[in-house]
Formats: sequence, C-alpha cells, structure tokens
Amino acid sequence: MKRKKKWLIGLCVGFFVVGLVGVSFAMTRERTEFLKTKPYRGITIKVLSLKANISETAVHFAKQWNELTGGDCQVVSVPFAAFHQKVFMDLVTGRGEYDAFINGDWFYGDYFLPEKPYIISIEQFMDDPKYPEWDPESLLPALQTVYKWNGKWYGVPNDCDSHVMYYRRDILTNPEYQARFKTKYGYDLPAPPETVDQFLDVAEFFNGWDWDKDGKKDYGVTMHMRTGGQGMFHFISWAAAYVISPENARFWFNPETLDPLINSPGHVKALEDFARLVKYGPPAMLGWDLGEAWDLALKGDAVLTFTWGDLGALAQDEKESVIKGKIGAAPMPGTMRAYDPIAKKWIEFDKPNRVGNVLGGSWHGVISRYSKHPEITYDFLSYMAEEDNAFWAFVRGYTGIDPGRTFAFLEPYGTADIKDYTEQGWHLDDVKPYTDAYYLNYTNALQLPPMRISRADEYLRALDVAQARVAMGELTAKEALDDLHGVFQEITDRVGKDKQMRIFKEAMGLK
Amino acid sequence: MKKRPLQYFFILPATVWVLVFTVYPLIYVVRISFSNYQLGTTDLFFVGFRNYLDNFKDATFWNSLRVTLLYVLIAVTAQVTLGLYFAWILNKNLKGSRIFRTIFTSPLFVAPVAVGYLGITIFYETGGPVNYFLSFLGVHVPWLSDRYFALISVILLDIWEWTPFIFIILLAALQSIPEDIYEAALLDVSSNSQLFWYISLPLITPALVIAFLLKLIESFKLFGLPFALTAGGPANATEVYSILTYRKSMAYFDFSHGAALAIVLLFVVMVCVVQFFRIIRERY
Amino acid sequence: MRSYEGKIKQAVTYSLIGIFLIWVLFFFYWALTNSFKPRLETFNPGSLIPFLHFTPTLDSWILLFFRQMENLPLAVVNSIIVSLGTTGIVLVLGTMAAYSLSRFEFKLLKNKNLVIWFLSQRVLPPVVILVPFFMILMRLHLLDTRLGLILTYVTFSLPFGIVIMRDVFKDIPLELEEAGLVDGASDFQIFYKICLPLVKNGLIATAIIVFAFCWNEALFAVSLTSSEAQTLPVYILAARKTRGVHFGIAGANTIVAIAPPVILILFIQKYLVRGLTLGAVKG
Repeated sequence: MKRKKKWLIGLCVGFFVVGLVGVSFAMTRERTEFLKTKPYRGITIKVLSLKANISETAVHFAKQWNELTGGDCQVVSVPFAAFHQKVFMDLVTGRGEYDAFINGDWFYGDYFLPEKPYIISIEQFMDDPKYPEWDPESLLPALQTVYKWNGKWYGVPNDCDSHVMYYRRDILTNPEYQARFKTKYGYDLPAPPETVDQFLDVAEFFNGWDWDKDGKKDYGVTMHMRTGGQGMFHFISWAAAYVISPENARFWFNPETLDPLINSPGHVKALEDFARLVKYGPPAMLGWDLGEAWDLALKGDAVLTFTWGDLGALAQDEKESVIKGKIGAAPMPGTMRAYDPIAKKWIEFDKPNRVGNVLGGSWHGVISRYSKHPEITYDFLSYMAEEDNAFWAFVRGYTGIDPGRTFAFLEPYGTADIKDYTEQGWHLDDVKPYTDAYYLNYTNALQLPPMRISRADEYLRALDVAQARVAMGELTAKEALDDLHGVFQEITDRVGKDKQMRIFKEAMGLK
Repeated sequence: MKKRPLQYFFILPATVWVLVFTVYPLIYVVRISFSNYQLGTTDLFFVGFRNYLDNFKDATFWNSLRVTLLYVLIAVTAQVTLGLYFAWILNKNLKGSRIFRTIFTSPLFVAPVAVGYLGITIFYETGGPVNYFLSFLGVHVPWLSDRYFALISVILLDIWEWTPFIFIILLAALQSIPEDIYEAALLDVSSNSQLFWYISLPLITPALVIAFLLKLIESFKLFGLPFALTAGGPANATEVYSILTYRKSMAYFDFSHGAALAIVLLFVVMVCVVQFFRIIRERY
Repeated sequence: MRSYEGKIKQAVTYSLIGIFLIWVLFFFYWALTNSFKPRLETFNPGSLIPFLHFTPTLDSWILLFFRQMENLPLAVVNSIIVSLGTTGIVLVLGTMAAYSLSRFEFKLLKNKNLVIWFLSQRVLPPVVILVPFFMILMRLHLLDTRLGLILTYVTFSLPFGIVIMRDVFKDIPLELEEAGLVDGASDFQIFYKICLPLVKNGLIATAIIVFAFCWNEALFAVSLTSSEAQTLPVYILAARKTRGVHFGIAGANTIVAIAPPVILILFIQKYLVRGLTLGAVKG
C-alpha cells in the first residue's frame, strides 16, 4: 500500500517532468507543430491491455497523451488468464471494439491465421514526422524478432521481456559459505553460477536453512510456477541451453516436417534437472504467481532465481525489498552438453554453452485491423516508445516495462549514464550487473526462438501442465514430454499442418 | 377449469422463450459436436464421431472426469451426512431459531467465485488462518500446491457453501413431523438414536431423496469455486469438467470439441438421474 | 427426563450450535476483519479481534474505491442492472405462465408434461449450452452487453420461477376466484386483483432467489462479457493480481460481492425451502 502512495506521487511528478520538459526536447519540429492543433480532439481510441503494472503505465502515458493531443485514449485491462481469449473474442467475432492490444508476443501466430491478418503493419506510419519519433534500430536485434512478422514491423516497442538469472552477491561471496561449499562440492562457490549444474548445486546448498540470519528459514531458489499464470516460462528459459547451440537453432518444431521436438533427449534432461531444481525452493511456489515468488526474493529469503527485469528494479524499493545493493544479475546459466534434435546427437562444449532468450510477453501494442483510427492509435503507441518516455519507464521498477533499447544500457553498450539510474533510487552496485545481464542476453547470437505459431497459448498451456506434473513428481520427464509430443501434434493437426507450416515459416522469417 | 383465451396469452411468452432458447441451443450443440467448428473455420462439414473419439483419447478429458466424479462423490456424501446430522441435532424449538435459520442459510447465497476467491486467503499456505491454527498442532498442509490437497480445499469450501442447503430442507422436513408420533414411539423406544433411525429417518426420506438428488445435479455444474480458487491447478488437479469445457470452447475457440464434451456431460448427468430414480423406485 | 440430563443435553445442543455458527460465520468474519486491517496486520492470521489485536482502518476500502484501474463501480452497476432486469422479466412472464399452468388445462401439451419440461431445465448443466448462447449473442451483436446477459439469465431463471409460482398459486383456494367471477370480474382482474396480492410472499421469494442467481452467476458472465458489461463475478475473477494477494482488498471485494444476496435472504425465510426444492418440499 505504501508502494501505491509512492506510485501516486511518482505519477504526478513524472507527469509534470515529462509533460513539460521532455516534450519540448524530444520532438521533431513537425510534431510540435502538429500537436499545436490538438489534432485528435473529440476522438476516442480504446486499448486492451494485460492487467499488470504495464497497464497502469499505459494509463499514465494515456493521460499525458490526452493532454498533448486532445484525444481520449482509454485503456482497458484484463488479467492474464482471460487476456488472450478477450483479444480474440474481439477479433474473431468482428466486434472490433478495440483499436490496439498491448499483447504478448505469442499472440502473433493467431493474428496471421486468416487470409486477412487481424493486425496491420505500422511501417506505413513509421516515417511520418507528424508522429512521435523512435529509432527502430534502438531496439536490440533479438527483440526485433518479436516485434516484427515476416520482416515487417507490426509492434511498437514497449516492454522487453526475457529471463536472466538473479543472485545474492553478498551471500555467494560470503567467505564462510564459500569454504563450506568447497568442502561439500569440491569447487569454488561460483558467483554467479555459470552452468546449470553449478546452479543446481548452489540452490541445493542454500536450501532449507537460515543463511541470512534473520530467524526465518531460507531457500535456494524461488519461482512463480502457478498453473495458468506464466509459470511455464521458467522451464523454457532453463531448457534453452540444453537444446540450442551453435549447431542448432531449433527448439520447438522441425522446420521441414513440423514434428514437435519437445521430447528430445535434450528437453528430457532439461526437465529432469528442472524437477530437481524445484525441490530447492519452497513447496508452496507451485501455486505462486509473479508477485509472491518475487516477494520471497525481495524479502531476502531466496539466494537464486531467474525471471524478468521487474525483479531487479523492484529490489531498489526499500519499502518492499531488503536486498537493495545486494542483488546481482547475469545471463541464464549454460550447459556443457546440448542435444541437437535435428541431427539427433549430443554436442560437448569446452566452455559453457549459454543461450539468450526473449521469453515472456514483451507486452506491446499492435493495431487491430478493425481500428477506425489506426494512425491515431499508432500515435499513442509510438508516444510510449519515444526515447524519453521509454527510458522513464525502464528505470522505474513499478512500471513493469523492462529495458531492451540501446539508450537504456550503460557504457560500453549503450548511451545511458549510471546517474540516470541512481537518481531514480537505484543502488550504485546493482545497476551495471542488471543492465549488462540484459544486454548480453539480447545480443547473444544464440537465441531461443519464441513460440509464435497459431494456438501458441494452447501449446504453452499443455507444456505448463506437463512440467507442473513432473515438478510435483507425478510423472517422469520422459513420460510427460512424450505425452506432450502427442498433444502438440494433435494441436498442429487440428489447426491444419499446411497452415501451421506457413505461419511457422513467416514467424521464423524463413522463405 | 375451462378453456379461456387468457390462458394462452399468459403461458405463451414464457413457454416460447424457454423452448426456443433451450431446444435450439441443444440441437445446435449436438450439431457442432459432429462438425469441425473452430476459431476462424469458414466451411463446416460433418466429421462423425471424431470429436468424441478425440476427447476420449485425451488424457485431460479423463482427468477432468475423474476430478469431477471424485468431487461429486465426496462432497455430496459429506454434505448430506453433515446436513442430516445438524438438522437432527438442532430440531428443537429454540429461541431465535429464525435468526439461526437465516444465518445457516447464508453460505448458500454467497457467490461461488467469492468463496473461491476468499478461499485463496483462507487456505493460503504461509499466512492463512487454517495453516495458522494447524501450526499449533505442528501440521502444515500444502492446500493450494498439492494435487490432492487442492481438490480437498475445493471440497471443503463447497461443503461450507452447500451443507446449509441440505440442512435447511431436512430441518423443515423434520419439523413437519408431529410431536405425537414421537410421544407414541417413546412408549416402545428409549434411546434418541433409535428414535432417529426408526421414526424420523423413514419419515423424512422423501425430502432426503429430493435434497440428495438436487445437490447431485448441482454438483455437476461446479465451475466458479475451483476457477476462482486455483483456475484448475496446480497442473490440472482441480480442473473440473465445466472448466475444461469452458477452456476448450471459450479460450481456445475449439467449439466442436467443446460441444462434444458438453454432450458427454449431459449424458453422464442424465444417467445419474435416471439411475437414481431407478434405485428409489425399487426401494419405495 | 430428569432436569440434570436435560441440562446436559441442552448444553451439548447449544455448543453444537455454537460450533456450527462459528463454522458458518468464520468466512464472513474473515472477510470483514481483513478489509479493516492495516496492511501489515493482514500478514498475521492470528490477529483476529479488532481493537484488541489491531486498530481498524479504512485503508483497503479507500484503495478499492479510488484506484484508477479497478472496475468495481462498473461491475456493481452492471450486476444491479442485470439482476434487476432479469428478475423483473422473470416475475412478469413467469408469474403469468405459472398462473396459467395452475388454473387452466391445456389440450395440446398436458400441464404435467410442461411442468416436467420446466423442471428438467434444472438438470441441464449450463456449460452445455454455453457455445450456442455465445453464437446467438454474437449474431445479434449482444456480446458484452447487459441486455445479452439478461436474455441469457432469463432463460435459466424462467423455468424456476414458473415452477415455484405454480406451486404457490395452487395453494390459493379456488373459491376466492369463483367469488370474483360471480361478481363479474374478468379473468385478468381476477388474476391481478385477487390472486397476485395473495402470492406476494411467494413473489418476493422467487424474486430474491432469481436475483441471487444473477448476482452470483460466473460461467456465462465470464464467457459473454468483456469489459463493458462485466458483472461482479467477472470482476472477482480478475481481482487476483500478478503481484500477489492483498488480503485487505480480498476481504473488501468479497464483502461487496456477497452483500446483497446475503442480506436479502432475511426476507424469504417463509418460502425458502419451497424455493430451494422447487416446491417438492414444503417449508
């Protein structure tokens, strides 16, 4: 609740700062002239968003945009479990109530299922100086894949989602624990772990006792695994390095046959290790949503986790977090052997095979083909993508907008200054690990391909249930994934293999 | 009773409405359960029993059926037993019985989604009251993260909500038994429990049968409570049949398979009802 | 029975009532206390007695009603409109049909069959006709509208209303109506001036049960509405945020969602059992 009061104050301050100062510096001359006419007076646009901090941020920006342009942008939000359904209910029924959707990247496959796609490309608006300016190349390459389809831009940059690993710097560099770890495992306590085996060892070592001397039992890892939430992303980001390698870029489907790869030996090993990992956290986390899992880390009771950028930013809020100044970040741990499911062989590495990902919604706006004011809708969406506004959102944890554009990163990777972060309350020691981790993740040449075919939500849910059952010990990894292979195939057949093949190729940018 | 024009005018709107809005939809459901209707399908064609067979091959279907039947069995038995017990115990003319009746009926009128929603906080594993009080006994239960306990949570909350239903019906039935019957019986019988088994129970059996049947029917409709509490989780431990059908139809827009699921449910419910009546007719 | 034995029996009975009461009331008490607890106290489930364990505050209620993103006022309004609308239509159409069924005999379809048909509606699990209703409302452009929801709920409530009211009408002795006939009243006047006032309580009971059904219904509400016509159950289902559960808000939300039907049952004690069992058991 106190966070809410701070949020209200932040909102007012932010409004004035950006509304008055930023505006005059960030806009082109054409834009300034255009705005003077209050061009959208009397026009209402409706945006449907996921109900989360990002929707609150959208509302915040909508208020400013309304002031600037005279228009009326209304943001409606729906919780995760019903969001996909509501978006497509609007599109499939032809109701077209919403001009834009702040959608998750796996929705795209369904947009392009019919002959006439449900969303329109934004490229027609991108060069027009009337509209807010943003540099497409400021969005890191790996992220561009989820904002484009078949080479064309459809999404306007907003949130940038991926999983990186977070760890307690202070605990992993504690000499006493380092000595005990070495005695037990025979190698130096890594800070941070670089491979999945190290990650498992560290989580196991720190699970179940009070290592931060606060009188409460602490855990090795915390994860938000609630079914029907975004729990399955944990397994996916974990498993990436077991399958993706310099020799193989495929994770979900064989591009020639569309045969699901999900039960390859690499995937199975990944799930087996993942099921072990679950034991090194609190049992209740199987029912936890994002906030609850993050809270455990913020209260200082978990030594490792891997999740979205929100955590690093939330850790800076002293009212909710005790780990400010103690939280480190790094890209996801790698593996020493990975499986190539196309060539069907294991590959060994000398150095850890680390894979980047763009997992998660990367919640951003796309324009509905039913919108009566697509250009006005684009105006609002690109307003949020303007450098100043985007940066404003990146540095504040409560916005839910995570960094992914060049100006968010510190030297030598980007143009941001560490002062930009510390002025917003970031602890000096936390900024560089956090931003570097995400930058390295997004610029890694090896990337987990996001699932972007039609019915992605159905495939993902089936995966959600399968990994949960293995985590609960009901099935072995092999049983669950073999079964999942059949389910994936059934879904593909139901959509129609040819259709899916076309969509898959477009999503991958293959011809 | 004579025939008059008013009678048609009075009954027509309601009858037409119900007929149109239930018969037509039912026919529609049967039809699309035999077709290939999904998100964005433009041409529909007949596929025979394929959707039904697909469902029977689907493990989530059997899981749902199992979860639902387990729930129905345990919950209804518990509710009838508890309702009967409390009705018997409280079948006295007590002061303020009107207030009691109102209070005891109230869970029934609480929205199931609200029961599930607040239930999250009640069964919250670290910080909820149930585990708090259990901790004094040294017990900690994974109410919402374990396959079996999650279903138990659903059942417990459902028992809270629906026992009053049985209770209030049986209480009314008990209270309609005249005092003289008890007085006469007391000449032959001395213990309370004998009174119950040999006098009261036989007399309230019709009401008991109705209460049981009604609750049974309602049980198959279960949706809001588990949906709000766990959304069918963890994994699919509490995915009751309605939730599965809803998900297939409304979330995945897979109307054909959803329709096939729906027809199977209707069939199961009707079998239960018919079986039930058969048993009743045999015994009485 | 000796008075000693009687006293023990009484004590046992009263303590059982006490246990039953606590079991029933805990839910409401939990919602209430949490809604008035300060945020930090909500993490302590043992803190249950206001003023003793914690000082009540209005924080959660203020948060609830003044947060920008919450749709609570809209959901309340929608719930009220949909519930009242459905109740009104059911009362009018249902009572008319019930009267007709109770008094007149039909040639085409036997009365008994019609009643059985209406009764059988209760056996039908609503999820079975979920998709057709979605399709119907979609074609009529009534998705995400209050009217669409009302039409749906009327379909489910009408059979119920008809069966109850028929039962109630049957209790009215025919002599009263015949007296009216003798006085030269028309059929409609007999219905309106003589019968209706006599079944007032039955009408109230039916109305309240139908109202509660609409207020609490979730499956169709969540499937047929999106943002504009969302009712309280839809709002409740959306209330769990990704940031975790806020006990205080959960309590406040619950109170708002359950208050009207629970309060209304104070008024239907007389016809409660008959209503619940569709007339099969007289309360």
